[in-house]
Amino acid sequence: MSAHLFPMHHSEAASGAVDSRVIDDSMRLPVLILFGSALHWLIAAALVSVVLSIELFLPGLLGGISFLSYGRLAPIARDLFLYGWASQAALAAGIWLTARLAGRPLASSPFGGVLQSTLIISATVLWNLAVLLGSLAILAGYSTGVEWLEYPTWASATLFLAFLLIGIWALLLFDRRTNERAEVAQWYLVAGFCSFPWIYGTANLLLTWKPVQASAQGPIQAWFHGSFLSLWLLPVALAALYALIPRILGAHLHRRNLAPLGFWSLLLLGGWSGLGHLIGGPVPAWMTAGGVVSSALFLIPVVIILINLLGIVLHHPEKESQSLSFRFLIFGTYAFLVLGVLSALISWPDISGIVRFTGVTEAETQLWILGAISLPLLGVLYEAIPQLLGRDCWCRTLADLHYWLTVVGFWLLVGVLALEGFFTGLALSDPTVSFLNIASYAYPFYVLEAAANLILLSAAAILGINMTRALAGDYFFPKK
Amino acid sequence: MHRLTTLLSGIFLVFLTSWIGLVAYPALQLGKLAPVPDADSGASLPPVYGGEAVAGQHIYASEGCVSCHSQQVRQTSVTRIDIERGWGVRPSVARDYLRDSTAFLGTIRIGQDLSNVGRRLPEAAWHYRHLYAPAAVSEGSVMPSYRYLFTLSKIQGQRSAEALDLSPEAAPPAGYEVLPTADAKNLVAYLLSLKHDYPLPEAGPVKNIPAAVTH
Repeated sequence: MSAHLFPMHHSEAASGAVDSRVIDDSMRLPVLILFGSALHWLIAAALVSVVLSIELFLPGLLGGISFLSYGRLAPIARDLFLYGWASQAALAAGIWLTARLAGRPLASSPFGGVLQSTLIISATVLWNLAVLLGSLAILAGYSTGVEWLEYPTWASATLFLAFLLIGIWALLLFDRRTNERAEVAQWYLVAGFCSFPWIYGTANLLLTWKPVQASAQGPIQAWFHGSFLSLWLLPVALAALYALIPRILGAHLHRRNLAPLGFWSLLLLGGWSGLGHLIGGPVPAWMTAGGVVSSALFLIPVVIILINLLGIVLHHPEKESQSLSFRFLIFGTYAFLVLGVLSALISWPDISGIVRFTGVTEAETQLWILGAISLPLLGVLYEAIPQLLGRDCWCRTLADLHYWLTVVGFWLLVGVLALEGFFTGLALSDPTVSFLNIASYAYPFYVLEAAANLILLSAAAILGINMTRALAGDYFFPKK
Repeated sequence: MHRLTTLLSGIFLVFLTSWIGLVAYPALQLGKLAPVPDADSGASLPPVYGGEAVAGQHIYASEGCVSCHSQQVRQTSVTRIDIERGWGVRPSVARDYLRDSTAFLGTIRIGQDLSNVGRRLPEAAWHYRHLYAPAAVSEGSVMPSYRYLFTLSKIQGQRSAEALDLSPEAAPPAGYEVLPTADAKNLVAYLLSLKHDYPLPEAGPVKNIPAAVTH
């Protein structure tokens, strides 16, 4: 157990930095509740995904039942992954990392700490109520129909408010940091926490709260999809990689001088990254060109970030880690590499013409959500929970099982989606092959997709068991 | 504090670029597009929806049709597949969505593109049968049944004119008939209104192919 991972590297942090146990004491409950509720939604989202993929190859099984129909469940699964799991895990990881990197507890006086954690916990309750009731509203047929923004107005407004109540503490903690020169992970945290209100507020305002004329909605939807992933969730995930990988290995970032270029180019291009979904769409021609160019340029931050992070691993082959966190961080880094390459490839116009709207698009989305974003957040979870509980709380066997099921399920899902998309895309290019005929090609892939989702569900459930075991402690699971 | 301000202003300026390009510009330019008069008839294009179609659009939204169906014919500079497949006669342009409350552009095609479904499949009766039992109409379709948008009722005296003419495998028991609810009627009215086949100045030439054959 690496209890003294923080602070490290910046020697100036020694002046005024508070002991990490004091910091953890101040935010134990809020971070545990955020991570715990995120995990519930991860399991729920994985379960709905299994049902969805079964519906694709057995459409008659649950057909005709309104609240179980594919069109209602699909947005629920996506939104549970985005808001229930990823955003909440990013909030948990984000405020914990910010406090630890800043060397500051949530509040300086004990009384103040109670006040602040009560506020964060109340906001977390609000957040979870919005996710729960918003999902039920979609089930009942009250979806807005805007992809990724299906929650009714009252639910999206609650999410927005709850975020402000939690996110503000990340900015205040950063502002009170004890290290004069902020480190790379801290830039990413600030960027992520600043971008959510901007992105989620703008998109809801213009698409669901007071929609603009629909002729303008396409680019705004694409901007929202790209920005939500690459400017809110990804920066927090990258902060986790930048903060934890060097500390776990006890080494410095490789070519640290490139990091600012990686950071600013990611922020600059991230907002345009959704344009890949508009190539050839009903938008001005420059946006199609912009989609191609920005997806190719996106390789710049990807390459720099990989040099910074994987460079450490490759240049210190002697340094190994048995850390449960570390392997998820590295797994996430590789998912990010595959994502960058795939995005650049499929936005090339000739390839986009064939594979856009197929499973390849979905493979890309899953590389984002389940890969580059979720895996580093899982890495933080494995690191943070034992530190917050102050004891080595993970069952190694369950953790190993969770890791390997995630590896198999994730690559199987991405691989199956990409292959299915590639083959159906080629078949679609031949107008003499009927659409229904092509759908029959996809059939075996749908079965494999269901298998992959089932593996991912069992992985999430096992993590859930391990977490319950960790929180319940030795009382229910006495150690030999 | 000084450094936080620098970092925050940098982040703000960088975010601003894509926000201007993909949010402010579309809202101010594409959002101000107006209908154009048809050169021949003088009617306003794109055509105005009827009240049923407007209501049907909300059913399309709440049932999550966009989870499987796109509504866009892509530019021929990128691909000709959409037009060759008969999904449209010309690429879709921003002005085509003028009358919608939400632009259902879609990101995936588990089902077929619907931007011209009203032109390809202009028969309401077909849509009712298809929504009620998709696989009975299109063999091998993975679309789920929307039976809950219909009512099964005992035939009182004469069979209703609205009753669905279903194939034997999907037909109700003898003495019963399947009738569309108001939601089903609105949804079908909306689907039939989906046509990007009228001329617009920016849309380029309309490929001269006949609309789907009705029988």
